[in-house]
Amino acid sequence: MSKLANVWIIGEEIPAINELTAGAKTLGGQTAVVFTGDEEQTAQILGVNTIYYLGTLADKILETYTPSIIKLVMTEKPNLILVSNTRKGRLLAGTLAAACGTNVLTDITEVVAVDNGVQSQRMVYGGAAFRTEKSTNTINIACVGAGVFECSELPASEKVVEVEFVAPSVSIKCLKKRAKLGEKVNLAAAKRVVGVGRGLKAGEDLKMVEAFAAAIKAEMGCSRPIAEEEKWMAKERYIGVSGVMLKPEVYLALGISGQIQHTVGVNQAKTIIAVNKDKNAAIFKQADYGIVGDMYKVIPALTEKFQK
Amino acid sequence: MKIVACYKVVPEEQDIVVKGDRTLAFDKAEWKIGQYDLNAIEAGMQLAEAAGGEVSALSIGGKMVDNSKLKKAALSRGPEQLYLVADDALNAADCYSTAATLAAAVRKIGGVDLVLCGEGSGDIYAQQVGAVLGQMLGYATLNAVSKVTAQGDNLIVERTLENEVEVLEVAPPAVISVTTDINKPRIPSLKEIMAAGKKPATTWGVGDIQTELGNKTEILSTLAPVEADRKMIILEGDSDDKIAELYEHLRRVLA
Ligand SMILES: Cc1cc2nc3c(=O)[nH]c(=O)nc-3n(C[C@H](O)[C@H](O)[C@H](O)COP(=O)(O)OP(=O)(O)OC[C@H]3O[C@@H](n4cnc5c(N)ncnc54)[C@H](O)[C@@H]3O)c2cc1C
Ligand SMILES: Nc1ncnc2c1ncn2[C@@H]1O[C@H](COP(=O)(O)O)[C@@H](O)[C@H]1O
Repeated sequence: MSKLANVWIIGEEIPAINELTAGAKTLGGQTAVVFTGDEEQTAQILGVNTIYYLGTLADKILETYTPSIIKLVMTEKPNLILVSNTRKGRLLAGTLAAACGTNVLTDITEVVAVDNGVQSQRMVYGGAAFRTEKSTNTINIACVGAGVFECSELPASEKVVEVEFVAPSVSIKCLKKRAKLGEKVNLAAAKRVVGVGRGLKAGEDLKMVEAFAAAIKAEMGCSRPIAEEEKWMAKERYIGVSGVMLKPEVYLALGISGQIQHTVGVNQAKTIIAVNKDKNAAIFKQADYGIVGDMYKVIPALTEKFQK
Repeated sequence: MKIVACYKVVPEEQDIVVKGDRTLAFDKAEWKIGQYDLNAIEAGMQLAEAAGGEVSALSIGGKMVDNSKLKKAALSRGPEQLYLVADDALNAADCYSTAATLAAAVRKIGGVDLVLCGEGSGDIYAQQVGAVLGQMLGYATLNAVSKVTAQGDNLIVERTLENEVEVLEVAPPAVISVTTDINKPRIPSLKEIMAAGKKPATTWGVGDIQTELGNKTEILSTLAPVEADRKMIILEGDSDDKIAELYEHLRRVLA
């Protein structure tokens, strides 16, 4: 396998950074992390030859440092930059790409080094296909999520280099930051998942589904509209191409039409069961077992049977 | 405030046909406005309605974007005019080429204070074009924006990140990518659809705007995954008997 001379990592959270570093080491020779944050956090960045330290986020936002990062990247010209795919990571990746004349490989599921560049894979058309792409620019950039690379034991990093601050030419002022309330869920670990969709008529009706999930010892997930539009469930619970990708043993889709963007998140399940009142719903073509019926009748009836 | 809302024309997923060799065929596909780009158009309309201003819609792509049904679909949602760069040279544009073309179009439109993008395009969903475009134009650039209001000459935006919400004050010109929960896109009435046909639309070719075309990534293949075989035992109707039958299947699966 080819190797790249220099691979850089940019991320916000330490575990994500270290995971990308583990991957970077399989792709390239020299590695470096570009980081903004506290000094204590900097000490937890492992395994790289160089940590380029920009400064704290106490009175700034990451975007304040964008011009500094662009200047650094344009000077050092790493072959590949792996960016953690957080919201801010995506913005930074795109901004850097415009500055360096490259195109970001986003949400890649796989990446290998090829002659003078990288080849990667990602889903397109909502999951209807996998696309293999090659990027062989002077600087290549990939946005990578958790789980693409395997973590490995990393030694301490070698050195920290402070990066000169370049003041931004645009004006973005941070007025306030407030913590977002949310629950931490790890659906990926669940063996049984009940997914609920727009067939649910009201948020309160989740109780009915929760009782069913509890009766069969399953975790609760949902389709995107239930989380993003109705906000009845946490965003961490929506399944699909833009949400979480699962591989449970059993998936039960309740009131979910079965559009590709959703089903691609569960089509690796061993068994899929669907409840939908529309017999032409796409979900039935992807199900092992199904019932054409009203979930408001079917679910309480099943719950009662399982509770016995 | 002069606002431009960007939308991409994408194929209806359900019409995409997987061929024997796992490549995709689009000949039967209906084209539509990317679902999440409707939020960008709506955000532009709400801002202009609240703070004054004029909204234009902008889309670039192959010749199919210059289609009267699609043009009405965009204009019926409120924008006063439409700009298109419709050229088959743009059929396989990557995010970089797309942003470069949009940047050229925005410059040609002239005097733009705010460019709005959706969270991601309906087909590729790279969530990149807004970021690249903003940097190319040298505008203040933000993504994940879940609220935007005007305050004097500036914009106050809320940005919903993984663990926190940032409230920011931005001086235009700016490129902002909005979230899908920023608003509920309006559903145009028949009257609005009729009126849309009379609104001005300008169509350019790649040669009419100053742009450098040239993808930065090379597509090697686009192939459908091999689908798992499913049993497809579907019970019709929710009578007590059918539910009991489903229960028996479920019980075995969960055993
Ligand atoms: C770029 C992009 C990315 C996307 N990413 C995702 C993603 O990651 N995850 C995701 O889920 N979606 C995603 N979507 C959205 C996706 O296209 C669908 O819109 C969404 O999955 C539909 O959710 P749903 O099945 O809950 O709703 P609907 O499609 O509205 O289906 C509701 C279903 O419930 C059935 N129903 C109604 N009432 C009852 C009842 N009483 N009993 C039984 N059944 C009933 C109906 O027959 C219908 O089939 C994405 C879209 C785009 C454009
Ligand atoms: N061809 C296009 N024409 C106009 N706007 C586009 C085009 N492609 C992408 N966009 C805009 O950029 C956003 C992000 O696209 P993407 O980076 O492809 O996910 C979309 O939501 C649109 O608002």
